Amino acid sequence: MDMKRLIYVGLLLVLLIILVIIFFRKGGEERIKPASSTTFPEQEPLSEEPEETTQITLFFPSEEDTLLHPEVRDIIASSSVGIQAKQVIEELIKGSQNGYISAVPPETKLRELFITEEGVAYVDFSREIQEKHNSGSSAEISTIFSIVNSLTYNFKSVKKVFILIDGGEKQTLGGHIDLSRPFLPQHDLIAN
Amino acid sequence: MSSDAGSIPAASSKISWYQKKILLNQKKRSSIFLWIFPFVFFFLGFSSYPQNQPFLRLSVKDHPSLSRVLIESSIPLSFSIERSGSFLFVKLRADKPFRIQRRPFRSRFIKSLGWASGRDFYTITIRTQHRNFSYDSFTISDPPQLVIDVSPNGGEERREESREGPKRISVETNKEERKVPSASPGRKSIVIDPGHGGLESGAKGKFGALEKDITLDISLRLKNIIEQKLAYNVVLTRDKDVNVSLENRAAEANNNKAYLFISIHANSSYRKEARGSETFFLSLNATDEEARRLAYLENNSAEFEDRIGGDNEDDIKMILWDMAQAAYLKQSSQLAESIQKELNLLLGTINRGIKQAPFKVLTGVACPAVLVEVAFISNPEEERKLLTEAFQNNVAQAIYRGLVNFLRRYSQE
Ligand SMILES: [Zn+2]
Repeated sequence: MDMKRLIYVGLLLVLLIILVIIFFRKGGEERIKPASSTTFPEQEPLSEEPEETTQITLFFPSEEDTLLHPEVRDIIASSSVGIQAKQVIEELIKGSQNGYISAVPPETKLRELFITEEGVAYVDFSREIQEKHNSGSSAEISTIFSIVNSLTYNFKSVKKVFILIDGGEKQTLGGHIDLSRPFLPQHDLIAN
Repeated sequence: MSSDAGSIPAASSKISWYQKKILLNQKKRSSIFLWIFPFVFFFLGFSSYPQNQPFLRLSVKDHPSLSRVLIESSIPLSFSIERSGSFLFVKLRADKPFRIQRRPFRSRFIKSLGWASGRDFYTITIRTQHRNFSYDSFTISDPPQLVIDVSPNGGEERREESREGPKRISVETNKEERKVPSASPGRKSIVIDPGHGGLESGAKGKFGALEKDITLDISLRLKNIIEQKLAYNVVLTRDKDVNVSLENRAAEANNNKAYLFISIHANSSYRKEARGSETFFLSLNATDEEARRLAYLENNSAEFEDRIGGDNEDDIKMILWDMAQAAYLKQSSQLAESIQKELNLLLGTINRGIKQAPFKVLTGVACPAVLVEVAFISNPEEERKLLTEAFQNNVAQAIYRGLVNFLRRYSQE
């Protein structure tokens, strides 16, 4: 009995230490990040080599019409499509810089993204994409195709997009559009 | 499509869940295609019969509480049914010889189906699994069909059992009388699906209106109008504030052999200005291979339903159910168009067309099916309107008119 208790306390202590380490590392990263981020390129320290960027296009709905509007943005260049695709989704979650509507709830986190050999991008979002969603057919269509079109437009190797939530398949965001199959891009939703 | 599992690059252990998922997907897909080919040839065989000789097509389909024997023909049927022991004898009058097609089946309540021909009649023998059974029969005029439902006793008594004597019903399929709205046999049903319900309240308005309440109100009004004016049964997927899964809504339509399926919703958009009514039908996220298969199904929708009920592996049945709406996309788009036209007239909007999107609730429905977004609950002005009796009635009337226009056309084709 006493031994068990000791083990429990020990485990809790180890867990606490790990949590503290994670907390401080994250804090540290956050403090360093703005310096190397692309929004303040002129503040980059001279000692660091400037990171190469590449241009991508995001798609957002607008107040004006029912279409998705392109917004061009720079991301950090990478030879890995997967890493770039992750950045595309993260930028999409950050929302528009040109006054368009953000169709992915800003509380949402990208948990995982990877692309299969057949060209299906599996994008795993945290549950906020469902919980904070203003459910309704039009809203669901906007959210889904701003994600799908943003990925397929930028990466030739992505043919279809499968949206996962919290690591698993979900039926719908809010009772309407079917998430149990991968989506093909919908080009007719894109504004000229 | 390769099913070579070894070709997936192994990455960190973090993505093992996804890898498993892909392996599953690949396996599933290749086995579907292996199974589909015999099906396609089997049914191509059926469709190549000469058109002039009358045919009888016999099939059996199991439902949870009964087995359904379907006798389809190209000409009106005159018949009588007699019962003896564990047999049912269906006597059909025939002036010309029939070409008989009997589909293989496996059934819980029916052991075998046989047939014999006399000078001017045919006898179909239905042998049941149990002596103690009851049956119910009815006809559908277009195309001519005789339906016999067999269920084991012990359950509820069947209405038809008391009158076992031979009866003779002549089924007319005269073109003039085919205008279904007025002259339907009364057995066809229209399924209305009030969106959401229970804990799942759907979209919410600024003033607190809930989508689930509005959809139920409008659905009940539409049901009343249809039942007053048309000879159809109306089945609601829910008639109170309860949660019903999206699969069960589609299943409700299929179990009732629905003639039409109409799902009622209220829309919500990120755009503050979004307003108006929209009618959707299903779009498929189909790959090339799937698209080819679905195109085949779409052109052969008459056989599609029977294919679902065949005695195949359960997972294939499920996948086909899942795709059931693929066979009805053309009619569904016509139904959507017909309803949207009336909604445009009601609201004075001209340029709003029909839309297509992959709605979960529509995918499994095996009949023409649409989803109507009556107005935007996210628009405060429309939210207020949605709560008024007048608007709810007007919308129900408009949907009804669209439905009738479609039925006239659909039943004549
Ligand atoms: Zn809805």
